Amino acid sequence: MKQITFLTYFLLVLFAVSFSSCKKWLELKPQDGIVKEEFWKTKEQVKASVIGIYSSMMEYSSGSYGNPTNYVPSMAELFFVWGEGRADHVASATASSADDIALINANIQPTNVNANWRPFYRTINFCNTVIEKAPEVLANDNTFTQQQLDNYLSEALTIRALMYFYLARTFGDVPLKLDATLSDENITPIPKTPQAEIFAQIVKDLTAAEAKAVTSYGDVASDKGRVTVYTINAILADVYLWMEKYTESVAACDKIINSGKFGLIRGATQNGPAIEYNDAWFNTLYYNGNSNEGIFELQFSQQRLNPFFLIFSPATSARRWIAAADLMERVFTVDYTNDQNYDIRGDGGSVRAATSTVWKYVGASSTGAIRPLDQSYAHWFFYRYADVLLMKAEALNELGRGQEALDIIYSVRARANALAATDLTPAPTDKNLIQDFILEERAREFCFEGKRWYDVLRNAKRNKYERLGILLSMVSISVPSSMQQSAQAKFKDQNSHYLPIYLYEMQTNKQLVQNPFYK
Amino acid sequence: MKRNIVLALGSVAIIALLMSAPGCRKIKIEESTTGDVNIVGYLDKNLDSFSLFRQILERTGNAAFLNAYGAYTCFAPTNSGVKTYLAGLGAASVDAADLNTLKDMVRLHLLSDTVYTNSFTDGKLPVITMYGQYLVTSVTNKNGVSSYLINRQGTVLRSNVRVGNGIIHVIDNVLKPAVKTIAQQLEENPDYSIFVQALKETGFYTKLNTVDSDTSKRWMTVFAESNRALADSGFVTYAALKAKYSKTSSPTNANDSLHIYVAYHISQGLKFLGDIISTPTHETLQPQEVVSIKLIDQQVLLNQDEFNGVLEKGVVLNRDKSDIAATNGVWHDAAAHFMVKFRKPTALYWDVSSFDEIKKLPAYYKKANYTFSRATEADQPIKDHYWGWGPLASTNFLQYTYSAASSITNYAYNADINMVPLGLPNRPPWWEMRTPPIVKGKYKVWVCYRQQKQSSSSNMLCQVSVNGTIMQRTMNFTDTRPAGTDSELEAIGWKRYTENTSSLWAARQVGVIEFTTTKQQIIRITALSGTQNNNNLDMIHFIPIDQDQVLPRFRPDGTMIYQ
Repeated sequence: MKQITFLTYFLLVLFAVSFSSCKKWLELKPQDGIVKEEFWKTKEQVKASVIGIYSSMMEYSSGSYGNPTNYVPSMAELFFVWGEGRADHVASATASSADDIALINANIQPTNVNANWRPFYRTINFCNTVIEKAPEVLANDNTFTQQQLDNYLSEALTIRALMYFYLARTFGDVPLKLDATLSDENITPIPKTPQAEIFAQIVKDLTAAEAKAVTSYGDVASDKGRVTVYTINAILADVYLWMEKYTESVAACDKIINSGKFGLIRGATQNGPAIEYNDAWFNTLYYNGNSNEGIFELQFSQQRLNPFFLIFSPATSARRWIAAADLMERVFTVDYTNDQNYDIRGDGGSVRAATSTVWKYVGASSTGAIRPLDQSYAHWFFYRYADVLLMKAEALNELGRGQEALDIIYSVRARANALAATDLTPAPTDKNLIQDFILEERAREFCFEGKRWYDVLRNAKRNKYERLGILLSMVSISVPSSMQQSAQAKFKDQNSHYLPIYLYEMQTNKQLVQNPFYK
Repeated sequence: MKRNIVLALGSVAIIALLMSAPGCRKIKIEESTTGDVNIVGYLDKNLDSFSLFRQILERTGNAAFLNAYGAYTCFAPTNSGVKTYLAGLGAASVDAADLNTLKDMVRLHLLSDTVYTNSFTDGKLPVITMYGQYLVTSVTNKNGVSSYLINRQGTVLRSNVRVGNGIIHVIDNVLKPAVKTIAQQLEENPDYSIFVQALKETGFYTKLNTVDSDTSKRWMTVFAESNRALADSGFVTYAALKAKYSKTSSPTNANDSLHIYVAYHISQGLKFLGDIISTPTHETLQPQEVVSIKLIDQQVLLNQDEFNGVLEKGVVLNRDKSDIAATNGVWHDAAAHFMVKFRKPTALYWDVSSFDEIKKLPAYYKKANYTFSRATEADQPIKDHYWGWGPLASTNFLQYTYSAASSITNYAYNADINMVPLGLPNRPPWWEMRTPPIVKGKYKVWVCYRQQKQSSSSNMLCQVSVNGTIMQRTMNFTDTRPAGTDSELEAIGWKRYTENTSSLWAARQVGVIEFTTTKQQIIRITALSGTQNNNNLDMIHFIPIDQDQVLPRFRPDGTMIYQ
């Protein structure tokens, strides 16, 4: 009986409640978030969205490493893996996943998690959203000026171009998405766009961005961590090099060089027979970052640690990537007769030779200990002044200005005290040897900075793959000896230089066509 | 009561409402757990490409088992491939072909395991086919397109097709098993006539012409020398070769050098180039003689070795004429003539503290101490020095110790020593080293160390074993050298190996060992009783038993004293 009374009361209450206004009940707005109709009203919101683009590049990985079904690498990890994994500076370590080893062995399949481009398109969508929605704010916020809008747009356009630059160099043809995906209704499968068109779009975006960009934000961290005119020109120089447009590349480099805002951090100086080393070099350039040499760096901080501690971890049993065993002898060389004569970029700079540790991102100083986990905030270096110099040298050499190129190379070598054994002493007219020289110098200068694979590929593919041999001899070093011949034969197929489209993307977007090499 | 009626009516209404929705539609129940097809199912789905192979499976009675549960790898040839194959057999259709040939053919296309392309190497597949021959993989590039090539016969058109009971690789040609033995293949090729004649006269021809039913003995690898290679070394005819080597008038005699020459060119086991280069040495049919293998750039080199600092040039294996599979093995083409090297046993005065890893650190090598630590058991910081994992993790280090001033190293050879803590319960139980190559022969083994006691009560009794053989004497890192003249000392197994005469510098002869093979040997020091850190190993001497055991002595500046 009691239960029935309760039921009656309950029904009565329900009846009473039903008289309340229905409006609130049917409203579907989330109570703990903002929807786009309410966003894009003030300039602060635009700024937050633009900064959000940068933070999205520092997102962490998801899933567990080594699990082929749920692991999605972080973007910073992919910068490293794409730029180094297939090249000859790194080797697998105790904890390397099967997918990482497959990359080294040139045995990549569409199931390889390293082919997952998700983090890049995620950031591209953030850029697209800013590009599409930020102009609407002009109408809503009177304090928001066209100038400010242009500055913000330049950042979004540049980062989008940078993302596509990575994608096009890594996958070849990729889908080109230039409008924002704001809700599920916007999701439409789109096919791949040829690599050349992607590059045309990149140049278009960067040129547009350059006209809108600032030269300085007024503080060092923003100048190195956000897009400036110099960031844009550095990317442009790189893009033009890739597109084999050398005059344009030199022009872009010159805009940075002539600004007088950047220089090389002093490393080593020849003082008579003795060499004086600047002990603070490592600390200034790599440990603290944002040095006078930096142009664009991913700003990891104590609040946003980088993922590298786990990847290059000090615990040898947990490391995923280590330096190739012969890196010191092959790339930097060692002066066995005089230990005071060394390349600062070698032992203690890029690598800790005794333990084969990738030192650049985890070392606390060139001689000291490893960073503790809570200090693991070494930046990721997209572009440094040294890069601009060597890019210019590469372009000059292609333009037949070998002597100017050599002058630049030797200035970069002198800063680091590159050993005489690595000096190829090319004649100013010997274009091929200067190409080799620049490539080797870049290997030393940007060791582990995610550039090696792209450098080798760019040089190999120049003039319709005139120098494929560079790539083939590199792969004969980097793959295990039992697969050397197979790997070489694979690399003779130009399609093999680009990663496959990840299986998940193939399954969800039926418009995509797999790279024919991965049949 | 009224309420009950209301309740009943209500429930009737609700049930009616619920039932009206599904109506009379038939519910489809999925009875299978997966929609994946099996190998045969895949072929059936793609009959326009595989109808002929499907027919062959049917005719040979394989269709049923390939459609059942299992884990197989199937290399499925397309119709055009099968047509070419049938034309080669002279059969107009699948039904016209010989059933047994077809059965063999199918078995060569099946592995009883799943093998994805990521385990393809330059050599053979890890799993044998059901036919009993291995398939060899490589990559070929045609018109700028690279594809996997199976057995140098079929190009992979589509790889790693996952089906319910395994995986399928689609190939454009039928794979054909090797039908001839190594001996037959060599004989067919006039370029190898001298080598074949040597095979025949030494009796190895029969061995290379049989397919042993025992698969553990069946496979052989031959390094054949072409007439050209022999001519380059001055053997234009077989007679010349025979005249040079055959001294016993009977080449079938195992002691005849011609017999040795041929035996040295044959190795047991199936070794394609991709397999050969993964092991540094391979035993040959000539007892205790090995060929060493090095991969330099892209060249596979036989017997390129360094002995006592002298580099001996090796012989290249021609890649394009190698990896030729036969029913009982594989053969390769050696670009030059090579023969067992008869070396006299030579003493090895091994400075254990000059290993590659320390030499790479010019700031430390012959300059300062450096500690190689092992953070975990899996670490191996030094290639040729290894030790059993000490239960106390912090004891797992090897310290390269150098000082011209310290009394521990000031009189050591090159003024440096290696130190490893030894002895259970906490420290590593043993310390193992791989020597530089030592020529086969009988040697006395001397362990040269700088005596030190970590504390006054320390004891460090050790047993030495070489290649697993326990040496006759023990040694103790805490023992000083007894007093006596050189000959008195040698008689009781001691010597002074340094220029300095202090009894702290001791060399203990632990025993005599006979090396049967010229190669890098393994020496292990095992702690028997006691434990301490300061085990200062300076050198190990391997001196042929018929040579002077006491001299030379060694100076800290790296020079030797011969008298």
